[in-house]
Amino acid sequence: MNELSRAQIRDLMAQVLKNQDKELPADDAAQLREIGFRSLDFSELALRVEDETGEELNFDAPGLRRIATVGDVLDFLVELQHQ
Amino acid sequence: MSEPADTQLVPPSSVVLVSGGSRGLGLAIVTDLLDAGVRVAAFARTITPELEKLAAEHPDRVHVGSVDVTDLRAAQSFVREVEQRLGPIDGIVNNAAMGQDSLHAHTATEDIARIIETNLTAPLQLTRLVIRRMLAKGLRGRIVNITSICGQRGFPGLVAYSATKGGMDAATRSLARELGGRMLVNSVAPGFFASEMSAVLGPTQLDQIVRRTPTGHLTEPVEVTPVVRMLLREHTNINGQVIVVDGAASI
Ligand SMILES: NC(=O)c1ccc[n+]([C@@H]2O[C@H](COP(=O)([O-])OP(=O)(O)OC[C@H]3O[C@@H](n4cnc5c(N)ncnc54)[C@H](OP(=O)(O)O)[C@@H]3O)[C@@H](O)[C@H]2O)c1
Repeated sequence: MNELSRAQIRDLMAQVLKNQDKELPADDAAQLREIGFRSLDFSELALRVEDETGEELNFDAPGLRRIATVGDVLDFLVELQHQ
Repeated sequence: MSEPADTQLVPPSSVVLVSGGSRGLGLAIVTDLLDAGVRVAAFARTITPELEKLAAEHPDRVHVGSVDVTDLRAAQSFVREVEQRLGPIDGIVNNAAMGQDSLHAHTATEDIARIIETNLTAPLQLTRLVIRRMLAKGLRGRIVNITSICGQRGFPGLVAYSATKGGMDAATRSLARELGGRMLVNSVAPGFFASEMSAVLGPTQLDQIVRRTPTGHLTEPVEVTPVVRMLLREHTNINGQVIVVDGAASI
């Protein structure tokens, strides 16, 4: 399966934020709340990953609610691609 | 077709079928109806020790079975068993349902189909099955659909689920008209209550709901059961309505 690396997902995440004139900090521990990355931004990112890999990524909301940092987003999407 | 109104009253239900009676609100409804002296048939995919216990305590008034509500044949044979053991069914509570907690864009299409099949198609078919038998026997009866506040207010993560609950509320109104007073058909729409279904909601979500509720607490199953019992047992002229039980959280 065509799979995106953590670094590739990070690039896509930076693009999602850039479109809103926001910047993605280099630090994985940065808080999403502070950057202004919200749940629909996460949706957009997940759909961009889908576009690249051609695989649907479906998931429940509870997992989403546990995501607080940039690192959490990247981990979640890396993990999701393995399911 | 305009017909003269049927003026005979609908008697209280004496044999009630409760879908999803093994836990949560369904089990509370079964318990409450038994306390009220009603004969009760309950099914779920898995019979829990709690339901088993009720069946053992009231052997002549309870019939339980392991049935998947989406399996129409299994539901059909369960209904026959019930009629043999307890007598003709003259009340039904459509309570079995599955929950959801996923954004619509990220819900697998098979999952959407399963939610609709379980929460909308299956109760419509079970209702059809039971009213056919009631009509054939000339019986009058009561139908109560357990829906949800989601049928009339929006909640993220519950899109397909809300569609099924709003669908059942709409069916309630049309059935009440179609059955021309031979059966009283109503929905009871609870707000969120703690159960296996709502366990997916995080503590922050539940806190938020409580904070927005004037009565200051989540709805409890025992706060819903009297309303269900009234609709099944009391002489009222309530028909085709959706009764919300949510402590005014949605008001
Ligand atoms: N919890 C809430 O916050 C809330 C709020 C508003 C409305 N409601 C509604 O209230 C009703 C009861 O909910 P609850 O919270 O008590 O749910 P619950 O604890 O999850 O219980 C659901 C019941 O339905 C049965 N069931 C589920 N799928 C079934 C199937 N395919 N075939 C047969 N039985 C099935 C379950 O048994 P098995 O799994 O063993 O089959 C169980 O007995 C539902 O209609 C729900 O939509 C709930």
